[in-house]
Amino acid sequence: MTTTRTRLLTALGAGLTLAVAGCAQTGSTSDAGADDYPSKPIELIVGFDAGGPTDIGARLLATELEEQLDATITVVNEPAANSQVAYTSVSQAEPDGHTLGTINFPSAIITTLQESRDASYSRDDFAPVALQVVDPTAIAVPPDSPIDTPEDLVQAALDAPGELQATTSGVASNEHFALARLKEVADADIAPVHFADGSTAATTAFLGGNTDLLLANVGDMIPLLEAGQVKVIGVMTQERSPFLEDVPTFEESGFDVDISSSRGYAFPAGTPDEVIDQVSTAIREVMEDPEFEEKMTAQGLAPTYMDAEEYAQYWDETEQVFAELLPLVEGDQS
Amino acid sequence: MDTFSLLLNGFGNALTPQNLAFALIGCLLGTILGLLPGIGSTAGMAILIPLTLTMDPAGAIIMLAAIFYGGAYGGTITSVLLNIPGEGESAITCIDGYQMTLKGRAGVALTTAGIGSFIGGTVATIGLVIAAQPLSQLGLRIGPPEFFSLVLIGLALLVGLVGRSVLLGLISACLGLLIAMVGIDPVMGLPRFTFGQAHFFDGISYVPVLVGLFGLGELLASSGQAATRPKAPSLRELVPSRADARRSAPPIARGTAIGSLIGLVPGVTSAISSLIAYSAERKVGRHRHELGTGAIEGVAAPETANNSHSNAAFIPLFTLGIPASPAIAVLMGAFLQNGLTPGPTLFVEAPDLVWTVIASLFVGNLLLLVLNVPLVGLWTRILAIPYSVLRAVIFAFIVLGSYAVSNSVIDIYIMIAFGILGFVFRQVGLPLAPLVLTLILGPFIESALRESLQISRGSFAIFVERPLSLTFLVIAGAILLASVLGASLKRKAGLPTDAEV
Repeated sequence: MTTTRTRLLTALGAGLTLAVAGCAQTGSTSDAGADDYPSKPIELIVGFDAGGPTDIGARLLATELEEQLDATITVVNEPAANSQVAYTSVSQAEPDGHTLGTINFPSAIITTLQESRDASYSRDDFAPVALQVVDPTAIAVPPDSPIDTPEDLVQAALDAPGELQATTSGVASNEHFALARLKEVADADIAPVHFADGSTAATTAFLGGNTDLLLANVGDMIPLLEAGQVKVIGVMTQERSPFLEDVPTFEESGFDVDISSSRGYAFPAGTPDEVIDQVSTAIREVMEDPEFEEKMTAQGLAPTYMDAEEYAQYWDETEQVFAELLPLVEGDQS
Repeated sequence: MDTFSLLLNGFGNALTPQNLAFALIGCLLGTILGLLPGIGSTAGMAILIPLTLTMDPAGAIIMLAAIFYGGAYGGTITSVLLNIPGEGESAITCIDGYQMTLKGRAGVALTTAGIGSFIGGTVATIGLVIAAQPLSQLGLRIGPPEFFSLVLIGLALLVGLVGRSVLLGLISACLGLLIAMVGIDPVMGLPRFTFGQAHFFDGISYVPVLVGLFGLGELLASSGQAATRPKAPSLRELVPSRADARRSAPPIARGTAIGSLIGLVPGVTSAISSLIAYSAERKVGRHRHELGTGAIEGVAAPETANNSHSNAAFIPLFTLGIPASPAIAVLMGAFLQNGLTPGPTLFVEAPDLVWTVIASLFVGNLLLLVLNVPLVGLWTRILAIPYSVLRAVIFAFIVLGSYAVSNSVIDIYIMIAFGILGFVFRQVGLPLAPLVLTLILGPFIESALRESLQISRGSFAIFVERPLSLTFLVIAGAILLASVLGASLKRKAGLPTDAEV
């Protein structure tokens, strides 16, 4: 009851402030209407099902962001085609800052790179706002496996090319790209087994002894690790994961493999810079709150904030990496 | 402390007025959410997660788990009363459930579904208490090749589903399989039959297809003058008779076994359990010739199976930390939010909470029974609404439900197209059951087959080399053989071969 009342009061107070601010600025010539932003409810388009990790991350953020921006945020799920439908909606929305979309890597990149998908948008149709989560890809083996480090793995793959089998969560998933990259930098030939139904099916098959290696995001590995079901041998980032302090990275073992899935937010291109700044700052403020950080960490998600500019650069770089690997990934489909 | 006293302790916590209230709210909320096709319990739970963050962990998890059950029962209500499958798992219930409604036996169908769900759910939860570890290992032994052979049993049972004419049955089955093939190829990554529409890249979602075939198809068919209209049963007709109870018992037992077994395999939806339970009734049930015309077995078996599946799906979560279904994944999120990682360590780290949640699974099943059986009378009053009004409400309802699947207008068009097809099916006497079976099983067969072949590097020997897979194949073969032999025996006896193959 009290929360509702406080919220009402805050809303009322903020409304008054806005009204006063509005009066004070009647004389000025504001073009993009950024001053009275947000002037109506903001729609947050999520490209995956309600209840999935992307959705839960977005809903957690939306709840806090509502207070920061003093706006109503409606989460709309448009799950289809690895988010391609949602990206299409976002890229075609009115660029006034009232349509925000979740952006996942690699899907936002792959859907534009694969010609067969015939996507109507490209990188330039989005104005990146902020990055929320980076979840690196990791490799795990059964607890009793002789493989302990990335070096062991590469050696095992070199000894028997194509013999080791690894799960991926589908064709052109980040796990598939990770295997392609590993082959490129270390000549380690590991055969992918694609589980198009996603990581649950892949994990089950691995635990049942159907494949040698499990490739998955660190966030998905943690429960398995705590249950003693897997041994994580390497993480594919520059720095060690805060959740797996003892696990080496491929980087430090001498293999330049840096593959993650990440989640952030973007407006359609053409959204006024002031609006992007305002929302990007608000997201930063939410993410700096220790309580929010705790909520995300509890889900096994490492909060990784990037502002609009850094995120745009990260997007370009990642796109570059995936574009180079795409021929390798498409080449091994047999 | 031994398991039993821990569980008793758990009951003590689950039965506090506060937790009981959360379970009650969850059951009611879930039932209401489940009524609308397209909005399942998963979405309901996801939307409530931010709210549950402020509650204490046990209460939050109890409420979310209760929504999960309630949702399944809500889908049953619309399947039986209005011929609208709320979710895939209650689609097959439409066939006999709605026929029962037309005969004025809606109350009996809903009560039986409630009792069956209770028994199936309770047995699966007992399995969780006494043998979680060994059962989860059993679940893991079902790898892709085993799963493929298991689904082949389901397909072999299809022969029992085709009804009067094998040809018509196969037409229906092939159409279902064809729809199931739409989407991006799981291994090559190229789109198939998508007409360039990104909306179809993940395949055609089966909720609008089923809602169209059953719901709209029925609306169109009953627009004529001669069609039977559903009628509201009187209060006395709500309670199953002794004959009903006797006939329901074996299908409930079989449904429990099928659901609890398949529920152990992570990543398999409960729709498969209810389909296989229904098909099994068509093959082995004593009254199998009555199925399709409003037989109580056609409601009891699938409804029991899907609830025991849902409860058995908790076993992989508590023993391996794998969320076996999307709904369970949301529940897992609730655990994680409270700083608890599901898995065997949870029994050591937070035994109080785990046993409270397990006890609440029993309580939730019981609540669903005591809440819904008395409410059956209320639900069936829906049928007392004049049909001219009800028809408009149903139409609004199925349009909304189809849209809600992925917030897309395209799904409404799909629903309408399949509604017209459903009308045609009824006019020419094509059975719907084979289509439902292949539509839902299709994608699973395909991915299991192709995953197996990737594991074996292209060799089909993998299916006979693995003992469990071979066993399933032999069973599937035996079912097929029995059907063929049965047919030729009938031919010798001078019966029409297409009578009941």
